[in-house]
Amino acid sequence: MSNVRLENVSKTYGDMKIIHGVDLAINEGEFVVFVGPSGCGKSTLLRMIAGLEDITGGHIKIGDKIVNDMPSPQRGIAMVFQSYALYPHMTVRRNMAFGLEISKCPKDEIEERVNNAARILQLEPYLNRMPKELSGGQRQRVAIGRAIVREPKVFLFDEPLSNLDAALRGQTRLEIAKLHSSLGATMIYVTHDQVEAMTLADRIVVLNGGRIEQVGTPLELYSSPANAFVAGFIGGQKMNFMPASSRDGKLQLGQRVLPFSVSSSVTKVGIRPEHLQVSTPEDAHLSGRVEYVEMFGDHTLIHFETEDLGLITVKVEDSSDIKENEPIYVKLLAERLHLFDDSGRVHDAISH
Amino acid sequence: MRKKINPWLAGNIPLLVAVALPAALFLSVLVYFAGWAITFSFTDLETIGRKSVNWDWVGLKNYIRLFTRQGFLQSLWVTVIFTFFSAVIGQTIIGFLLAVALRGKRGLLKTTVEVSIMLGWLLPDIVAAFLWSASASQTGLINRVIIEPLGFAPINFMNDYALVVVIIANTWKGSAWSYLLFSAALDAVPKEIIEAAKVDGTTPIQRLWKVVIPMIRPHIATNMLFITIWTFTYFPLIYALTGGGPGNDTNVLAIFLYQTSFDVHRLGYGSAISVAMLLIVGALSIFYLRLLKEPK
Repeated sequence: MSNVRLENVSKTYGDMKIIHGVDLAINEGEFVVFVGPSGCGKSTLLRMIAGLEDITGGHIKIGDKIVNDMPSPQRGIAMVFQSYALYPHMTVRRNMAFGLEISKCPKDEIEERVNNAARILQLEPYLNRMPKELSGGQRQRVAIGRAIVREPKVFLFDEPLSNLDAALRGQTRLEIAKLHSSLGATMIYVTHDQVEAMTLADRIVVLNGGRIEQVGTPLELYSSPANAFVAGFIGGQKMNFMPASSRDGKLQLGQRVLPFSVSSSVTKVGIRPEHLQVSTPEDAHLSGRVEYVEMFGDHTLIHFETEDLGLITVKVEDSSDIKENEPIYVKLLAERLHLFDDSGRVHDAISH
Repeated sequence: MRKKINPWLAGNIPLLVAVALPAALFLSVLVYFAGWAITFSFTDLETIGRKSVNWDWVGLKNYIRLFTRQGFLQSLWVTVIFTFFSAVIGQTIIGFLLAVALRGKRGLLKTTVEVSIMLGWLLPDIVAAFLWSASASQTGLINRVIIEPLGFAPINFMNDYALVVVIIANTWKGSAWSYLLFSAALDAVPKEIIEAAKVDGTTPIQRLWKVVIPMIRPHIATNMLFITIWTFTYFPLIYALTGGGPGNDTNVLAIFLYQTSFDVHRLGYGSAISVAMLLIVGALSIFYLRLLKEPK
């Protein structure tokens, strides 16, 4: 177990700057998820920690050691790759033992560690099989087993679930969470899936264009995103954004002036679908015509078209009897409204 | 059995026949020639003279002669040395090392190396033979540029080291094939597996030996299969370079077969030599095909 520190870390390919001076402190035993759209630099950052990519600028520290020029195997890390990257010509047992054999670990200790990992991951019946005889989920577990036997200070996961089907992904996600709580190891996990990020992370690092947009617990990012990007990226359903302005200190949305005090620099508001409520015409802040309705059983998403604010989504519990093409009236939960200024930065909270 | 028909062809009998016809024709010609060679290997047929018309069955005499007379066994030995050093060792190792070294590289260096080894491959054998002969002779390039400036007496490589020259020439000529095949094979090794091996602490040599080579083993066996067959029966470059000499130093089986059949005119004996070559190459192929099979 070890902490990891990134100090002004940057990465350049030729003239292209991929990572722009990232600062981050990861505590011992913490589960940190790097999340962001493709090309945001999250994998590159992970690979720099792993020692698979050079570091152009800044320092990476694992424990108290600067590891910039240290080869991967000495960094005390273990990596789980997206494609599992199992050695196809070795049995499950040898796949897990290989790294230890290379580092001249005594035979009985290898045996013990491999058996231990196999027990944790329920791989015991498969130890003498070849990778191609295993299912995707089993291969993924072997890849994790290969990491466990190394007893690393830091586990690195590079989108480990993206090659699994939906059902297996949910199950394996749970297993990784259990693994983290039983090993208590420091884990850094890269994904583009915000559900994985929300459910696994102690803290989430949202990356965009090679910069950190925000670092925080899943709940912090959900309830108080630092800017419009994070607000739009985190959350089960995409946040509704509406152009806004301030008139006489009150919030103006399109033609409507709402009774919420805001400062004059507000140009955009965001609100999550679950923070809108279907209401009577008298209480409504917004109104429109229902475009389409998506029923999920436990909840329903109603997408309605407003006259001047574009398409807006409301989430309601259970099923709903609202039909397409009907008029709809919606109330905003004011305390859940996020205000943004021109730069996309979040603005001071709303006041009544 | 019905299920085994290729789905492209199933249910279309005229097409099936049309496709099978040339293949059947080709096969029957092949069988005819092979049958001819096997049949006449039991006779004393000659290309000229009385025996070209009134040949006799001689039973296994030609085959016994393979092992009792000078010539075949000596020639087999030269062929084994030639094949082993120029193909199995030379072409495979040089092709593999080049493929590894130039892996992921771009630009002038790679282009230069690729063009030069491809030139060796594409150059007609006779031209290549002339170039090597001119370079390795007593007054050739190697003596003029390297040996003599160093103060040594010129060496007639074509006389003193004929087999070595032939081996080097064939290595140079054939490495492109191995290079191309191994480049493609290395492309098929996923990058993440190499990275996993790096994280596992392997040195580059260990990575190559314990991860990459086992993974591309079927490609190595395929390559061996092809170049062994080609080299074992290879004729033009050696014939043009040395004609099998000096003495019998470079007299590989293909040349021995040619000389026996068309210089000494003993076509029956020549047929027996060719059948023997067929059996040897066949045995080697089975060996390689075994290697090709994935381990259980």
